Order: sequence, then structure tokens, then C-alpha cells
Amino acid sequence: MTWKDKWRFVRKNMKKSKSRIFMTVLATAMGVTFLIVLASVGFGLHDSIIKEQLQDRAVTQMEIAGLETEGAFQLITDKQIEELENIEGMRAVTRRVELQQTPSFQIEDYEGSGSTVVAHFPSEIEAGLELSEGKLPENDHQVIVGHHFAQNLHQANVEPDELYNENGEIKDEYQYSESIVGKEIEMMITQMVDGEEQQHSISLTVSGVAEAPARDWMIDTTVFISEAVLAEVEEFTGTPRGARNDPDYPLPEEETLGYHQVIGYADSLEEVETISDMLKEKNYYVYSVADELSQINVIFTIAKAGLIFIGTIAIIIASIGIYNTMTMAVTERTQDIGIMKAIGAHPKKIKQIFLIESSYIGVLGAIIGTAVAYAISILVNAGIPLIISGAMGEELPEGFQFSAIPWSLVAISTAICLIVTILSGLKPARRATQVDVLKAMRREI
Amino acid sequence: MIEVKGLNQTFMLGKKHNQTKLQVLKDVSFTVEKGDIMAITGRSGSGKSTLLNLIGGFMKPSGGQIFINNQNVSEFNEGEFSDFRLQHIGFIFQNFQLITSMTAYENVELPLVLKGVPETQRNELVINTLAKVGLADYQNHYPSELSGGQQQRVSIARALIIEPPIILADEPTGSLDSETEQDVLAFIQQLNRDYGITFLIITHDEEVAQIGNKQIHLHDGKIVKEELAR
Ligand SMILES: Nc1ncnc2c1ncn2[C@@H]1O[C@H](COP(=O)(O)OP(=O)(O)OP(=O)(O)O)[C@@H](O)[C@H]1O
Ligand SMILES: [Mg+2]
Repeated sequence: MTWKDKWRFVRKNMKKSKSRIFMTVLATAMGVTFLIVLASVGFGLHDSIIKEQLQDRAVTQMEIAGLETEGAFQLITDKQIEELENIEGMRAVTRRVELQQTPSFQIEDYEGSGSTVVAHFPSEIEAGLELSEGKLPENDHQVIVGHHFAQNLHQANVEPDELYNENGEIKDEYQYSESIVGKEIEMMITQMVDGEEQQHSISLTVSGVAEAPARDWMIDTTVFISEAVLAEVEEFTGTPRGARNDPDYPLPEEETLGYHQVIGYADSLEEVETISDMLKEKNYYVYSVADELSQINVIFTIAKAGLIFIGTIAIIIASIGIYNTMTMAVTERTQDIGIMKAIGAHPKKIKQIFLIESSYIGVLGAIIGTAVAYAISILVNAGIPLIISGAMGEELPEGFQFSAIPWSLVAISTAICLIVTILSGLKPARRATQVDVLKAMRREI
Repeated sequence: MIEVKGLNQTFMLGKKHNQTKLQVLKDVSFTVEKGDIMAITGRSGSGKSTLLNLIGGFMKPSGGQIFINNQNVSEFNEGEFSDFRLQHIGFIFQNFQLITSMTAYENVELPLVLKGVPETQRNELVINTLAKVGLADYQNHYPSELSGGQQQRVSIARALIIEPPIILADEPTGSLDSETEQDVLAFIQQLNRDYGITFLIITHDEEVAQIGNKQIHLHDGKIVKEELAR
């Protein structure tokens, strides 16, 4: 018997009980839709959260906070930097030292403040620092400023009440509006000497402005100064890193001095994991996006498996319908089956015909169910942000999706649907092969 | 062609704990040669249908052996017997056993479909076979739209289409009036003459038995008379 003929048999049989088959396919499709839509929420939220995680940080980046030596925490120093830079797969290691006070900066009659750091430019460049304007410093008194440094400058003689608008931002009319590149700025540092505040001013020239940070809500007002300028500051304050003599904050001891912020950049996300594992082994305090991602991945994988399991129950319920439909089909066709067997139909062929029929119901259910699930998913993704912004007045982050249907989910649900439908069709199909020829033929008499 | 050796058939009757044995066939042995028309006669309940059902493979004998074409078919399993039937045996039943949801054409085509004959070759064969039984104009009629004699001719066409060496017939004229009966019998004789098909025909009608060249008479499951007619 050719497959074409078997198929013809199946189609003919299904046509005879159209409404019954329709209801069974409907139930199966509903089960598949339920499974996919349910699990798609897990997939969608997972994707969205991963996207959130990756948006503001480079994936290949790992923060190296310090090192544990003989049970004590220690900041990273040049000795470790050398070791870190020699690790295979490590593209760059940036290190920054923060000035221990926040100086104010003045240009003409504008002023503002910003955290001030000493950075190692060759490694920053390799790590991907880009300038939106200007160029890198060529001498010790040239500086790079953060993208928002200029915007943060305001007219010096304005009352604070007048200066800010209702959102806490500096009003446009008081903002510094020209390009800052090439301009000379004064860095004002202070120190308490015998209970009196002393001021010192250092002239610097802005040679370039850094590219804006990845996320549009992040504000970067950092000023990158050179080692030489730091030395000048330290000379004035008489303390390491320009710290003020604050009785509440004792000065750090010389030995613990090190870099405040050390970031390693790996060549790829995969390397991040190996490098950070290796560093952890060597008692470094390492933190990378990969750590967080693997935790998130574990949680979501469990959640997705749970949702798929619950969805599978819906398909199993639908399979009861398939079982009933197929059992009825076998009972109805007992006489035909008997005649076919009498003529010489091999039991295997009869079994196949019924299995094709139940699988076909499963395939139809899977196709229709998947199509409907896609439609629902699109509606949910379009509708949920509207509902949330309407009901709670909150905006979801851009690109946030509640429900996602990747191909893997379609494949999983189709596989589950087919397995379940074939299993539920097995018993009726076996029953068809067991039809007794003589009993079946005697019926009509 | 067909050799039956020491065939016994026993049925268990009644409920599980109170079963009685009923021996329907007792040590039945006979031989059918190629080209024979063998008539099996006997009273109702004498075991004629049981004998034919055993030869056709619809049930397994309790004892004894059946050889068809020198193959011990009593050892076949269900699947093997299906394939064997499809190649070697055509059936004609008293109540035709046509599939009611199929047209005459489709019923006759069925054995070819089961055999896996490609669609393109089937059409000519079916039309020719229907023409042979005089039903060329009735291809698209459903069994319910045909007379008893026409239905029996469809079932004969269905048996013929695989060109079997053997046709087993259980009361082929039992549901027909005497005039149609004559047509069908004449047709059986013609097939036997023209194609050398071996027939095994059950009947309780002496007139029908007359078309056979051999006859066995069953009584209470035993062959009581075996004769060469004419
Ligand atoms: N499946 C069965 N189970 C139990 N007993 C059976 C079965 N089939 C037949 N019998 C018994 O075997 C005996 C012979 O039956 P069989 O059908 O062979 O008779 P027959 O000669 O064909 O009669 P008829 O001319 O009425 O068709 C009967 O007594 C019947 O009750
Ligand atoms: Mg009988």
C-alpha cells in the first residue's frame, strides 16, 4: 500500500466525521496555544531582562575590586595590573584613581563640579574609550571631560532656587552652551589648614570630550587628569590623592593605596567566564555581567521548564479527546476493517492508517495552535505596555517584550504535541489491528 | 493445490468457569487439485463455514495442517496470512461484504490498493474487471444502489482482480433468487474454464453442488461422503 493511498484513506475517513475531527483539532490547538503563550512569557521576560543587563555595560567587562591576601582586602596595585594584563584573552585593563575630593571647576563666570579621576589612557583607548569631540591630551595640563561636563556648568552668581527647573535640572538659560574643547578651565581644590580653608587653583585645558554613555539616562561629568596634576594636588593638600583633613575620615595608610576602579576587558563573553573563574581562584574580587547572567539564566531555565510542564498538561488533556475520537473511529469502522483484513490488509497497514490520522490531528493542532499563539503574543506585547502606562502611569523600558516565541519553543511544543497525540492514538490503532475478521463480518447479518 | 490433513476444530463455549467443549471438525482430510471446483455440502451447523474459515486463515485450527501451494499456512501468523491472501486467495461471501462507503469501482480497486499497485495501472484493471462481470456502467454506484446480484458480481470482481489461483466462496448464491443464482453459477464455471481458477464452494443446495467436479459432504464435523461428480 503506497503512502499516497494511505493518506487518501485517512482524508476520506476524516471527511466522514468532520465536526468531530474539527472539535478534536480545536482542543489540541488550544492546548498548544496555551503551552506556547504560557512559556512565551518566560522567554520574553528572560530576553528583556538579559537585554536590560547588557544595555548599560559592555558584556566583556569585569570589575576587579581588589585582592585578598592573607585574609585582608587589598586594592589592586601596579604589581597586579601587570599580572592581569598578561592573562590570555584579556584585551585591556583600565585603572582609575579617584581624587579624594570633588573640586569645583570654573570657566569664565560659569562653574560646576565633577568627580575627578586619574586614568591610564592607552588602556582606556584599548578598552574602547571614544571621544565625541577633540583629541587626547598631549601634555600634563590637558584633560578629557565626560560627555555631560559642559552641560553641568552653570552661571556662578545665580541663586539655587532660581537655578533649577521643576525637574531638578539646570535651566537652559543658565547653562554653558558653547563647545568646551580647547577652553581653559580652573580646577579649585581645598584643604583645611589650622581650621581654616585654603584654596588652590590649577589651570587645565580641555583637549577632548568623551562619547556619551550607552544609556541615555546616565550622566557623565568626570574629569580625567594626569599623574602630574595629581602630584600638584597632593603637594598642596599634603595628603595622598588630595584627601581633605577630615576628622571623620582618617587617612588611608600608605600600603593600602591602590586603584579605586580596575576593569578588565576580555576578548569575548566566553573568555569573561574563564578569566573571572581563574581570577576568583587567585583570590581576586571579580564581578562580571557573566556572573549575573548565569544566575538569571539558571532561574529562567527552571521557570521556563515549569511553564512548559504546565502547558504540557493542557495538551495531555486535549489528548483524551484524540483518544476518544480515534476509539470511536475504530468502532465505527470495525466492519470495514474486518473486510479489509479478510481481503488481505496487513494489520500493520491498518495500524498505520489510524496512526497517520491521529498524528495528522496533532500536526493540525500544532500548526493552528502555533499560529494563534503568535497572534496572541503580538497582541500581548502591543497591549501590555498600553495597559501598564494607562493604569499605572509608568512607561516600560524601550524594547521590553512581555512574550517571545523563539523557534526553540515552537519546536519543543510541536514535539510535545506530536509525541502526546501519537501516544494517545496508539491504543486505538492497536485495537483496530485486533479486530476479528469473522466477528466484524458477522455483524451486518 | 489445497491439502487438508487431519483438521480438528474445537470451540470452548459458555462462561469461564463452566466451559463445555464443542468439537466442530473431526479429523477432516481432503485434497483439492488445481482447476477443481469442489463443493462442500452438509446440514446447517455441520461445520462447513468453519472449514472454509480455517482454510482462509480467519482463525487458527486446534489441530491438523493445511497446505496451500505446498506452504503450511496453518503455521502463518496473522500478518503473513494477510499477505498470502492478498497474493493467492479471492473470497466471495454470502452477504457480499462490500464496504458501504465505497463505490463499486473503489471496492473492486481495494485489493490493488492494498497490494500497492500504482494508481495509473489500477484504472484499466478495475474497468476491465467490472466489464467482465457486466457492471461497466455501474462503477460509481454505492452498494446500497445495487441489486443483490449486482453486489455479488462486484464482490466477485473484487476477488478476481488480483487474479488469484484460488477462490473460496461461502454460500455465494445464498442471498440470490434462482435466476440470478444461475447467472452467478454460470459465471463461476466460465472463470474456472477460462482461467483455471480453483474454487471451493460451500452450499447446502444440491443444484449448486452440481457445478462442482468434486464434492465432500460434512455431517457433524466429519466427512461422510466424498465423491467425484459427473
Ligand atoms: N466462533 C465460534 N464459537 C463457538 N462456536 C462456533 C463458532 N463458530 C461456529 N461455531 C459452532 O460450530 C458449529 C458449526 O458452525 P458452522 O458455521 O461451521 O456451520 P455451517 O455448516 O456453516 O452452517 P450453516 O449452513 O448454517 O452456515 C455450529 O454449531 C456453531 O455453533
Ligand atoms: Mg455457514
